[in-house]
Amino acid sequence: MNMKRLVFVFLATASIAQAAPKKVNLVIQTEPPQLDSSKATDQQSNFVLGHILEGLTRSGKNGEPLPGVAEKWEVNDKGATFYLRKDAKWSDGKPVTAKDFVFAWRLAVDPKNTSEYAFILYPVKNAEAIVKGKKKIEELGATAVNDTTLKVEFEKPCGYFLGLTSFTTYLPIREDFYKSRNGKYGADAKDLLANGPFTLTRWVHGASLTMEKNPNYWNAKTVKLDQIDIPYITPDNTAQFNFFKDKKVDMIERLGKDDLPLATKNGFKMKSYSDGSVFYMEFNFRKGRPTTNKNLRKAIQLVVNMDEYITKVVGIPGTLPGKTLIPVWVRGVKDRFRKEYPYNPPKMNIAEAKKFVEAAKKELGGSIPPLVWLTGDTNFAAREAEYFQNIFKTHLGLELKIDKQIFKQRLAKMTAGEFDIVAAGWGPDFADPMTFAELKTSWNENNRGEWKNDQYDKLIREAQSTSSVKKRMNAMAAAEKIMLDEVAIVPSYERTVIYIENDRLKGVVRKQIGADPDLTQATID
Amino acid sequence: MMDIKTAFPLDFSPVKKTTEFTLSSRPSLSYWQDAWIRLKKNKQALASLFIVVGLVVFTLIGPYVWRVDPSNQELSRISEAPSLGRSVLVLPEEVAYEEVVVAGHEESPTADGASLDATAEIQIMGVPSIQGVRFKWTPVKGAAGYSIYRTQTEPKDRESLGVPLSSIEGGNRVSFDDGFDLQAGRYFYAVVAKNGEESSKFKVISVDLKAGISLSDAQSISPDAKIGEMLKMGARPLGTDYLGRDMLARLIFGARVSLFIGFFAPLLYVILGILIGGISGYFGGKIDDWLMRITDFVLALPFLLFMILFKIAFGAGPGDDGIFPMLIALIVLSWTGAARLTRGQILQLRESEFVQASRLLGAKSLYLIFRHLLPNTLGVILVYLTFAVPSAIFTEAFLSFIGMGVAPPTPSWGSMCNDGIKSFLIHPHEFIFPALFISITVLAFNLLGDGLRDALDPKMRSQS
Repeated sequence: MNMKRLVFVFLATASIAQAAPKKVNLVIQTEPPQLDSSKATDQQSNFVLGHILEGLTRSGKNGEPLPGVAEKWEVNDKGATFYLRKDAKWSDGKPVTAKDFVFAWRLAVDPKNTSEYAFILYPVKNAEAIVKGKKKIEELGATAVNDTTLKVEFEKPCGYFLGLTSFTTYLPIREDFYKSRNGKYGADAKDLLANGPFTLTRWVHGASLTMEKNPNYWNAKTVKLDQIDIPYITPDNTAQFNFFKDKKVDMIERLGKDDLPLATKNGFKMKSYSDGSVFYMEFNFRKGRPTTNKNLRKAIQLVVNMDEYITKVVGIPGTLPGKTLIPVWVRGVKDRFRKEYPYNPPKMNIAEAKKFVEAAKKELGGSIPPLVWLTGDTNFAAREAEYFQNIFKTHLGLELKIDKQIFKQRLAKMTAGEFDIVAAGWGPDFADPMTFAELKTSWNENNRGEWKNDQYDKLIREAQSTSSVKKRMNAMAAAEKIMLDEVAIVPSYERTVIYIENDRLKGVVRKQIGADPDLTQATID
Repeated sequence: MMDIKTAFPLDFSPVKKTTEFTLSSRPSLSYWQDAWIRLKKNKQALASLFIVVGLVVFTLIGPYVWRVDPSNQELSRISEAPSLGRSVLVLPEEVAYEEVVVAGHEESPTADGASLDATAEIQIMGVPSIQGVRFKWTPVKGAAGYSIYRTQTEPKDRESLGVPLSSIEGGNRVSFDDGFDLQAGRYFYAVVAKNGEESSKFKVISVDLKAGISLSDAQSISPDAKIGEMLKMGARPLGTDYLGRDMLARLIFGARVSLFIGFFAPLLYVILGILIGGISGYFGGKIDDWLMRITDFVLALPFLLFMILFKIAFGAGPGDDGIFPMLIALIVLSWTGAARLTRGQILQLRESEFVQASRLLGAKSLYLIFRHLLPNTLGVILVYLTFAVPSAIFTEAFLSFIGMGVAPPTPSWGSMCNDGIKSFLIHPHEFIFPALFISITVLAFNLLGDGLRDALDPKMRSQS
């Protein structure tokens, strides 16, 4: 009897398997801290939110805006009008309206909500004044003319506004649902409403996430996957690699240096792309920090050799040595921004560096206290820290204390300013040099070092208030030069990602802007 | 009665001293001599004793014999396997790389990327070495760019080309300079033409690389090195780690931390335990009650939590060494075992006949404790101590492994294991050696403890 039952069960599973849902398994580095799109700041949140929510536009492979909830739009120097499609629905069946956008944007600039990304709404009229408490949130320059027409007024002409509308902070949130969650919006799977290709159906904190196809999505017929399962969350490269090897996951988003020989040995086909991020050492300019001393920063800039660093420590082929804050792939007026506005940082010069550090010592009263190097908890972060620790010690006689923290804690410490140098990085939010250039403005929450330069602020303001591409690029290039001459940061590298995916998985788009990897058009055989 | 008639002076002279007497007993052995004899019979324990002594010598003398700086990073020797010094070629300094761009190449935007031809020929430029491999190829008709791959096993098909090195935009850019993490050995480079999509055809070239070192690096080792000569590099008997640091030197320095904690923490907390246990057992009554309740309380405290609290209490910020807080935490939290043991022994001895007799003869408390009680508990305490040493070493290794112990660049066996385990599959020596040292040390101390227990405390002899 047992045997019969076994056969029966076997047959049953076999027939189910034939109609098996198209399911992709992934592993991610860390869990999203929360999924309230008005507050999200990190890559993991962007990845999940990019799959479950849809903004006015979607970002294409090269960052170009494609129609999303908005069917068509008109943009001029004064503002923009978006015409929303009538069939756009939330996962509970109710239509997505212009009010949902107005509500979400007001939430993001609400001083009570303290969104770190409020600045990204500054092109919208009165946004900055509202964030600073000078105006009421009702005065935000975004109005719902009717359910399907959204009118946006600009503070100043904004040449890159369309590119912003696909960004996480610009995603819609429905007011009645938000309020019914009593401040817990985005804290759990049940505290989220989707209007995108997928819905978040399960979220076990610290362990796993599951997204399923959203039948109410207006374009659901183009979505081929039934489920995106994330059964594992770990930053450990070796563990990730073993999951892939055991066929537990279909893709590894990013291989580590030590995984490359293993992947070669196993015959996995590797692919590479530049994810557009730039990494740099960010100095702390808060009062009393030794890094406020320019000679010290100069010494650090001159003692490092980023060519050696990327080949020996980063070890991912294709990685470029850091030169400026705006990476090489960003477009300027007609060509690459960096080609049009070249900036060459000084080359390694240890003798010079020693002179600068001596000068710094004198200015800082005879000796330099140990510097705190704040970094993440990955293998790479530790290697990088020890590499620089040795260089600073042998050539400059500087002590470096390594503070390794998990992602959440590192962000908290960066915000609180508990560091001298932080190993920071920035991925682009939209396809314009501005996404990098406005980082070091005094009003930007992500300016963790709190570097402040009036000239820089003025130039960025100038760039943000003109629609002339040429003027904008000129202003940003001039601003960047000031910032780099002041050594507010030392760029270390521009990332190239090498990844592997299951041969059966097709149509995954890796891109620099928006949800990455983008599985909205993917399928699995 | 007998009269003494005559007395000779001889009768009053001393008898000649004689040293002759017959031996009728075995030599008198002290407690320690007896224990030593018993220990010597136990081969395991004796071997362990030699290992322990060897370890101490390794730690104390090691740095004077093996004069390699444990924090010196040799980036040309990252993750090198154990060797007794290999010879490398001294290479000229790198010359600037100039990209080859052909004129007159036409990109055809309509060409189907997948069906593009492979390049006709790949040519090596200059002398390839581990500092850089440069090559150029003939342009492919219609290509809008090229992808370069590298692998160390001969590629069989399109799927096994290996690591993507670069994606070159522009069909007229036909050269590449690879300097990424090259090691001695054979490499296969593949060039694939592309136009949006990559072609399914490819061309492979193989390059044999000899171990080499640049002239300036060579001159820092031996000042009169010349280009083209072979230079013998320093021996790395246990290999190097992920930043090119000598593993042996790091293990020697790591042993300092391990043995420092391993010896001092148990020594100090056992002394504290003897003190508390001794007072408790000797005086008894209320004092005993109170001290034992305190012991119970301390025993219930979680070690890891307190370790973290101590680190904060000592103001040890991030990146500071956690060794001193660790020592304090171990002393404050681990004395309980020794205290209970001593108390039990003293309670027993206090009532024994020889102590009673001594007390009747007027011995004071101090005399009793130091003359009678302590010496008689010493054997048991010593055994306890030998078992406490490996557990302290292991605690240190564990805490350093989870990042609560030493701060980099100070090595410790535990932190080295933590670093090594990440690349265990490709560079096993980075993990195996520190793990081996921890295992052997802990095992040796445990076996020695076993042997000592048998030797010092025959009543507790194990049934082997």
